Amino acid sequence: MSNAWLLYMAFAAGLLAVGIYCLLAMKNLIKLFIGIEVISKGVSLALLASGLARQNILLAQSLVITFIVVEVCLVATALAIIVNIYRHTNSLDVRKLTKLRG
Amino acid sequence: MVLQIILLGGLVLFSILAILARDLIKSAISLALASLCLGIIFFRMNAPYAGVFEISVVAGLITVLFILTIALTKAEGDVRESRAALLIFPLFFVAFLVLDILVMKGLMSKVPALAGTPEAGGLKFGEVLWKQRTFDLVGQVLVILAGVFAVLALFRKRNKDE
Repeated sequence: MSNAWLLYMAFAAGLLAVGIYCLLAMKNLIKLFIGIEVISKGVSLALLASGLARQNILLAQSLVITFIVVEVCLVATALAIIVNIYRHTNSLDVRKLTKLRG
Repeated sequence: MVLQIILLGGLVLFSILAILARDLIKSAISLALASLCLGIIFFRMNAPYAGVFEISVVAGLITVLFILTIALTKAEGDVRESRAALLIFPLFFVAFLVLDILVMKGLMSKVPALAGTPEAGGLKFGEVLWKQRTFDLVGQVLVILAGVFAVLALFRKRNKDE
């Protein structure tokens, strides 16, 4: 069982790496948010894989469902903020958000 | 297990496509396909409720929200991602894969089989969700309310006298 757990963890780490690269290298606000979504997929995969390995799949499932609900709230709020930023700056470039920097 | 590995590979591949595609609509659709792969993986891991939530909420609702935002902003052309970021990604990912495989191979012999107390045989999902976890579900309701109020506050219309 622990071999299967390590396999799932390896793929979850891959997703985490892809998401972190996106957060570090991209400039488009929507792309940055897609990076956060990719990271969250890795996290839910790791949660469920750990539940499967410890034979607690029902509890892991309920945790994943909670995580998904929180994720939806996060997405709705963040996308609303992105639309408002676009209305103010007419751009989705994250570098333009630094113009108030002292 | 082979099908599971193919699905996991598809999940990572579609996630990479989602971050590298120039067109934002293609990115959103790739993300939805990645969610679909993850949902099928959940079904095969004997977690049907998580799979249903992943496919209906993440692949459905979140993709719709992304496409709606892309349609509302229409500014994908004004942000040019640097070519270096796209060129460095394959090197970064291959280096990470090598490191990942080495670490996991090293751990394979060292990590003991995960000991856990198995859930009782007759236990149902509803009992675990509503009886084992009670207070954090209240927190979950509050999170949903906070999200609703945040969206309402962000899209508030101005009064006529303002």
